[in-house]
Amino acid sequence: MNKKKWLATPYVVWLAAFIIIPLILIVYYGLTNDSGNFTLEHVKNIATHNNMKALLLSLKLSLISTIICLLLAYPLAMILTKIKMNSHSFIVLIFILPMWMNFLLRTLAWQTLLEKNGVINTILGHLGLPGISIINTSGAIILGMVYNFLPFMVLPIYNTLIKLDQNVINAARDLGANSTQTFMKIIFPLSLPGVVSGITMVFVPALTTFVISDILGGAKILLIGNIIEQDFRSSRWNVGSGLSLVLMIFILLSMAILAKYDKDSEGTNIW
Amino acid sequence: MVKKFIQKLYIALLFLFLYAPIAVLIVLSFNKSKSRAKWGGFTLNWYKELFANEQIMNALYTTLVLALVSALIATIIGTAASIAMNSMKRTPRTILMGITNIPMLNADIVTGISLMLIFVAIHYTLGFTSVLIAHITFNIPYVILSVMPKLKQTNKNTYEAALDLGASHFYAFRKVILPDIFPGIMSGFLLAFTMSLDDFVITHFTKGPGINTLSTKIYTEVRKGIKPEMYALSTLLFLSVLTLLILINRAPKEETAKKNKKQRIHNESKRNYSFLKPVIAVVAISALIIGSLVGMNSTSGGDTLNVYNWGEYIDPDVITMFEQETGIKVVYDEFEMNEEMFPKVETGAVKYDVVCPSDYMVQRMIDADLLSELNYDNIPNIKYIGKDYLQSAESFDPGNKYFVPYCWGTVGILYNKTMVDEPIDSWGAIFDEKYKNNILMINSVRDALGIALKYLGYSLNSTNKEELKEATQLLIDQKPLVQSYVVDQVRDSMIGNNAAIGIIYSGEAIYTQRENSDLVYVVPKEGSNIWIDGWVIPKNSEHKENAEKFINFLCRPDIALLNFEYITYSTPNTAAKEMIEDDDIRNSKVAFPDSSIISNCETFQYLGDEMTAYYDEKWREVMSQ
Repeated sequence: MNKKKWLATPYVVWLAAFIIIPLILIVYYGLTNDSGNFTLEHVKNIATHNNMKALLLSLKLSLISTIICLLLAYPLAMILTKIKMNSHSFIVLIFILPMWMNFLLRTLAWQTLLEKNGVINTILGHLGLPGISIINTSGAIILGMVYNFLPFMVLPIYNTLIKLDQNVINAARDLGANSTQTFMKIIFPLSLPGVVSGITMVFVPALTTFVISDILGGAKILLIGNIIEQDFRSSRWNVGSGLSLVLMIFILLSMAILAKYDKDSEGTNIW
Repeated sequence: MVKKFIQKLYIALLFLFLYAPIAVLIVLSFNKSKSRAKWGGFTLNWYKELFANEQIMNALYTTLVLALVSALIATIIGTAASIAMNSMKRTPRTILMGITNIPMLNADIVTGISLMLIFVAIHYTLGFTSVLIAHITFNIPYVILSVMPKLKQTNKNTYEAALDLGASHFYAFRKVILPDIFPGIMSGFLLAFTMSLDDFVITHFTKGPGINTLSTKIYTEVRKGIKPEMYALSTLLFLSVLTLLILINRAPKEETAKKNKKQRIHNESKRNYSFLKPVIAVVAISALIIGSLVGMNSTSGGDTLNVYNWGEYIDPDVITMFEQETGIKVVYDEFEMNEEMFPKVETGAVKYDVVCPSDYMVQRMIDADLLSELNYDNIPNIKYIGKDYLQSAESFDPGNKYFVPYCWGTVGILYNKTMVDEPIDSWGAIFDEKYKNNILMINSVRDALGIALKYLGYSLNSTNKEELKEATQLLIDQKPLVQSYVVDQVRDSMIGNNAAIGIIYSGEAIYTQRENSDLVYVVPKEGSNIWIDGWVIPKNSEHKENAEKFINFLCRPDIALLNFEYITYSTPNTAAKEMIEDDDIRNSKVAFPDSSIISNCETFQYLGDEMTAYYDEKWREVMSQ
C-alpha cells in the first residue's frame, strides 16, 4: 500500500502553493504596515466602533439565518427521506438545480419580489392585504442568506438521514420507544454529523458575505464582509488583511466548537 | 392523511421559496422593457439579441470552459490524493484533511483575496489561468469529501484478495476499488462543476481584464440594471438542464431499496450507473455550447488594445466598428467608481492602454505620475471637441496634455412628480422628513459629501474639517430617511415608482424619463457638481498608438453621436451635438443645461491623499451607522 502515497504529491504541492502560502501572505499583510514593519494596528482595527458593530451584526444575522435554515431544513430532509423517488440523485439535483441560475441574478430577483411596488406587494395589494416592506432591512438580508444557503443545510442532513440504519430505528420501536423518543434518542443524535456540516456550510458563507447585504440591504447595512471588500477595493490591503485575520479566527473558533459534536469529521459531506 | 397533506404543503412552500426568484427571472426574459422594474409587454427579442451579444457569449464560453477544466483537474488531483490519504497513517491523514477543509471553511472572500495576493506577489499577471488555478483550489476539497467516504466503505480485504490472486496493483485498483468509488468521483466532479459555475467572490478577486465569467459580468451589470439578454441566457441554461434531467430520470428506473445502503453500493455499484446521468447531462450540454462558441472566440492575436471604461459607457457597436476599421482587437474591462479604477492602474497588475477617469481623478493620476502625454498629431479629431470643454479641463489638466473629454454632465435630483407635493428645487428635499423611506441616496464618497456640503452652503471641494464634520452629521441624520444607497440602481427604482426622489447623473436622467414620463430632473438651486469624464493613456500602456487611434475614433462626430444616443450622457463633441435629429433632445435642458445652471456648479478637485483618506473615513462613518 505504501506505493500509493506518491499519489498525494500533486495535491500536497498544490496545497502548499495555493492554500498555505496565500494564507501566510494574509497573515503577513495583516501584521505589517505599509513599510513592512510589524504592527498589530490592523488587527486591532476590529475594535473600532464601526468595525465591531459590523462584525457583531454579521454574527447576529448569520446565526439567525443558520438557525432558520436548520429549522426549515430538518423537517424537509425527514420528509424527503420518506418519499419514494426513483432516484436519490434526483432529490439532490432539485436543490442543486437553482445554482444553474447565477446566484447574483437569483438574489437580484428577490429585489423585484420584495420591492415596494414589487411582485409580492402587488399580489398582496390585489388580495386587499397590507404590503410588506422588508427590502433594505436586516430582514431582507436574512431572507437572502436563508434562500442562498438553504440547500447546503438540506443536503448534508438528508444524506445522513438516508444512510441511517433502519434496523436501529426499528429496534428502538421494538423496545417501546415512541416517535418523540426515537427521534430525540436515536435519529437526531445519529444525524448530528450532517447537522454539523450543514451548520458549517451555512454559517461561514453567511458570516462573510458582502454580495447579499449589498443587493438586498440597499447598502444601508454594512457587514464585516462589506468592510473587508471595500478595504481591498480601495487598496488598503494591510487593513483588509488584518480584518480577514480576525474573521479567520472567528471561523476557526466556531469550527472548533462544532468539531466537538462531529467526531467523524471525515465522513460527512454535502453530497 | 392530514399529516401527509401538511408534509406535501410544506415541501410545496419550500419549493415555491426556492424557485420563485427563478420564475421571476424567466418572466423578465420576455419583458419588452429594458428595466427590471417595469413590465413593457411580451417579446422574444432578447433571445435573438442574446446570440448576437459577443460579450455575453464570451462570458458564457469562459464560464463553461473554466467549470469543465477546473472540475476535471480537481477530480484527478483530488481522487489521487484521496486514495493516497486513505492509505496514510492517522496523523498525516488528519493534518492533510485539516488543510483540505480550509478552503471549504474559510470565507470565500479570504480565499479569493489570499490567492490574489500571491499572484500579485509573484508578479503573475491576472488572467484566465489565475482564475483557473483559484477554481481548482476550491474545487479539490469537494472532490475529496465526495470520494473519501466511498473509499472508507470499500473493503480492504477484497483488494488484498485480488493481489493474492495475482492481480497487479493497478489491475486490482481498476477492477476492485475504482468501481466502488466511482459514484463518489462522479458526484465530486458534478459538485465541483456546479461550484465553479456559481462562484462569484473568488473569481472577482482573481480575474484579469477582459476575462469575464457570467458571474462577474452580471456583477458589473447589477448596478446599471441587468441586460435582459442575461435573463434570456439564464433561462435557456436552466431550462435545458432541467429538461435533460427530467428526460434521463424518466428512463429505466432502478434502486428502490434504500435500506441497507452500504450493502447496496457494494453489491450493485458495478452495474448501477444512475449516478452518471447528471454528469453526462452536464458535460454534454457544456461541451455542446463550448463547441458552438469556439469559433467566435478566436482571439486573432496581433494588435490589441486594453480599454478600461465605466460600465455601460459606450455603444458596443462602436467597439465592433473600431475593430473592423483598424483590425485592432479591443479587450474591454469595466469599473464602477474612480476610486476602484485608480489602484488597478497604479499597481500595474494590469496594463491598460486607455482609461476613462473623471476630472478630479485625472488630477490625482497626473500627480501620481501615472499618465503619459498625448500626441495630438494622432488625434486630429480633437477639433470637434468644444473649446469650452477643453478650457474647463485645464483646471485639472493644465495645457490639455493628458485628457480628451468624452462625456460630461451634472448631478441632480430626479423626482417623481406624482409622488411629491410640490416641484423640488433644493437639496433640502432629500433631508426632509416627509419623504422618509422614499429617498434614494447616492453611494459614492465625493458625490454624497459634496451634496451635503453644497446644501450647507460650502464648497464641494472643502478641506475644512469642521465643515466636513457638519456635512457628515447631516448625512448621518439623513440615514433613517433613506430607502437605500445606490449608484446606478437608482434607474430601475425610479422607473418602477419605488421611490419618490433619487440622486442621479444627468445622463441617466434622460434614459429614465424615456421609460417613465412622470420623472423630472432638476439641478438644485444651491448648486451641484458638474463633471467631465474623458480618456487618458496610462504610462505603462504597451499600445500607446492604438490608444490614440481609439481616442481619435471616439472623437469622430458620427461615432460620438452613436455613443450619445446609446448612453445618453451629454457629449462635448459640438459637431455631434449639431447632428442630433431629435429637437427635444438637442435642446434638452437636462443634457445641455443653460449656462446659468453650469456657472452655479463646481467641478471636483483632487484634494490630496490625506484629505481623500479623511473623506473616506467620514463616509465610512455614515455608512456604518
